[in-house]
Amino acid sequence: MNDKELRSGETHVLSAKERFPEAVRGVSWSADNQVVIESTPKQAPELVEHLYYERDGWFSVLVGNDERPLNGRYALYYVLSMEGADPCFCTVRVEVPADSCEFYSASSRVPAVIWGEREVQDMFGLKALGITDRRNLVLPDDWPEGLYPLRKDTMDYRHRPEPTTDVENYEFLYETAGHDTTVMPMGPLHITSDEPGHFRLFVEGEDIIDADYRMFYVHRGMEKCAESRMNYDTVPFLAERICGICGFAHSVAYVETIEKAQQIEVPLRAQYIRSIILETERLHSHLLNLGLVCHFSGFDTGFHHMFRVREKSMDLAEMLTGARKTYGLNLIGGVRRDILAEQKLATLKCLDELRTDVKHLVDELLSTPHFLKRTEGIGILDKGVARDYSPVGPTIRGSGFARDARWLHPYDGYKFIERSPITQESCDVKGRTLVRIDEFMDSLSIIGELLENTPGGPILNESWSHEPHRFAVALTEAPRGEDLHWSMIGDNQKCYRWRAKASTYSNWPPLRYMFRGNTISDAAMIVGSIDPCYSCAERVAVIDVKSKKQQVLSRQQLESYCRNRKHSPLEKSTVII
Amino acid sequence: MFKTIKEVLRTGNATVKYPFAPLERPQDVRGKPEHNHVKCMVCSACAVACPPNAIQTPLDMREGTKTWSINYGRCVFCGRCEEVCPSKAIRLGTEFELAVMTKEDMEELCVYHLQACTQCGSHFAPAKQVAYVARILAQGKDTNTAAQKLEYAKVCPKCKQKYDVQRLMEQSKEEGEWLC
Ligand code: SF4
Ligand code: SF4
Repeated sequence: MNDKELRSGETHVLSAKERFPEAVRGVSWSADNQVVIESTPKQAPELVEHLYYERDGWFSVLVGNDERPLNGRYALYYVLSMEGADPCFCTVRVEVPADSCEFYSASSRVPAVIWGEREVQDMFGLKALGITDRRNLVLPDDWPEGLYPLRKDTMDYRHRPEPTTDVENYEFLYETAGHDTTVMPMGPLHITSDEPGHFRLFVEGEDIIDADYRMFYVHRGMEKCAESRMNYDTVPFLAERICGICGFAHSVAYVETIEKAQQIEVPLRAQYIRSIILETERLHSHLLNLGLVCHFSGFDTGFHHMFRVREKSMDLAEMLTGARKTYGLNLIGGVRRDILAEQKLATLKCLDELRTDVKHLVDELLSTPHFLKRTEGIGILDKGVARDYSPVGPTIRGSGFARDARWLHPYDGYKFIERSPITQESCDVKGRTLVRIDEFMDSLSIIGELLENTPGGPILNESWSHEPHRFAVALTEAPRGEDLHWSMIGDNQKCYRWRAKASTYSNWPPLRYMFRGNTISDAAMIVGSIDPCYSCAERVAVIDVKSKKQQVLSRQQLESYCRNRKHSPLEKSTVII
Repeated sequence: MFKTIKEVLRTGNATVKYPFAPLERPQDVRGKPEHNHVKCMVCSACAVACPPNAIQTPLDMREGTKTWSINYGRCVFCGRCEEVCPSKAIRLGTEFELAVMTKEDMEELCVYHLQACTQCGSHFAPAKQVAYVARILAQGKDTNTAAQKLEYAKVCPKCKQKYDVQRLMEQSKEEGEWLC
């Protein structure tokens, strides 16, 4: 076959066919750069492994879909972002029989899929054969047996089942290799930000030997809500509320799934505006994280200054969109608000101010000896671990991988400018912080460049129609990494299935490895460095495994220990031991 | 340390007077949706567009009313209502301090009368919409007077259908043709 005739992603298909001639049952394209390979259930794990490790694939998301009303089976979509030669999205689609509900797990071959597979087990009641971790991921301990929320025929989205047990039966895993460890739980409730999580640190003295954690305490059931209550064209406003920080990135990602699947053309001007606002969002998000880094390294003046400057970027967003957060700008087919000439001028002026202010603050931060001491060599994200788990955003760019959706799979305004991903090689907290600093400066120049080049014309395309059951993925590079959405419209003005993957979802699984080998006082720093919507431990209980004695520490104690590294709150408990 | 002090001096005071002085906000910020009950003709376009169903327009056929209601507790200030309203009756203002002492105060409503059909007496559409339609019809150039048109607009679709069929039959009788 002639090279010119190959469609985007076809080289991966050919390679897959050559390696596993029996596995590939069909190939189709759901959008220009999105190829879907239909696989036999048995060979799907090998196929995913082949695409992942041999074709430079990175795992993005696993979408489960109850397609029984359509074809009598469940379906799984392993979405991989191909980032080597022939960049595109490769989706491996596997059908799961409705009677046995069994599929073959790929988790032993590609560790990155583990959260996805655990989630479809919870949500659809599918059984992953050979999965490496059988625990619940999303459903709480007291959830009734056999009630699978995302099945089409199980429950109304308003249903709140009675708790079935009072006992927490979630098992925290650890590999301590003979070390005599003490368990230190952090969390799960009274969390300052929006992602409550329960951490268990397995410590020996001050050193963290292993860690495990549990999220999803406040699962909001948004996907179910969107599928049953919202219309597909009102979902952008819900998507925007997934995250209080990178909401706009989510709403862009959602509308683009529909635009891609239905081949709706978005006016150029709207594409530029989307990118400009996406970068504005990055400005305030990175400043927030830089502020927190200051705070956790005991440099509170820096924290206050970062937040003072951040306010300017919030004002900028407010001027451009009409709201400080949840900009409400996206509709399928374009955006709702134009950027006027005087707003452009005001923006350029604001960018200059931000540049000067942040330069000063960064100089100040980097010359604080305390900061360097607290971040260098801390929370190492090993390259091997990174490759296995597909983390995203500054977290992986701090470990030397140039993964940035803006430049790998250019979308919107990013198609029209030249940049390359910003990386650091040091793999530690400092590396990740430096990536954010550079990206902040880069964002300023991107906004300037986009504003100068924005073409005129309409901002919304309203003449389109839709065809049910077409699906596509779309992604945006949010401040914390890629936000990836997958959607399929049904035939009743609703989303048949909407799957939203927020960036930090990809960053949690490797966090365990980043904890290992550090001390307790670094824990907050390390969690902060992946920039989750930071969940802070209100209470910490220290349990001595042998005597079962427990000591409860306040958040202040732990936080102040993280910042001053004096008067270890654990000293007393070592006395107990 | 020196850098920090310099930065502090450079910045000066960052605090604003709010809440003791009003907060300056851009003019086109999206705050509380302001409903103009005079312009509104309860067409429900906003209720359909509103993502969280903050605006609802329940009908009461027995009372002959249609209620336009908004719950500011549900509103997400997206401005879709403003965008779709055909009579520019709703606009997002700059007010953002919406705290109230009781939940009920979050709700505002406005009750509109439905038009009773002049023939059969049943309610069929908001009276304001009927008047609006009559006004538009009145601009057309034909022999009927505006008053006649208003009278015609006040007939419900069912009666209109009956009336039209009757007229057609009479016409066709006159012309000696059978239409069925
Ligand atoms: S769209 Fe406008 S005219 Fe129609 S009900 Fe809403 S506010 Fe009233
Ligand atoms: S602003 Fe949005 S949420 Fe509020 S009433 Fe209007 S459409 Fe509904």
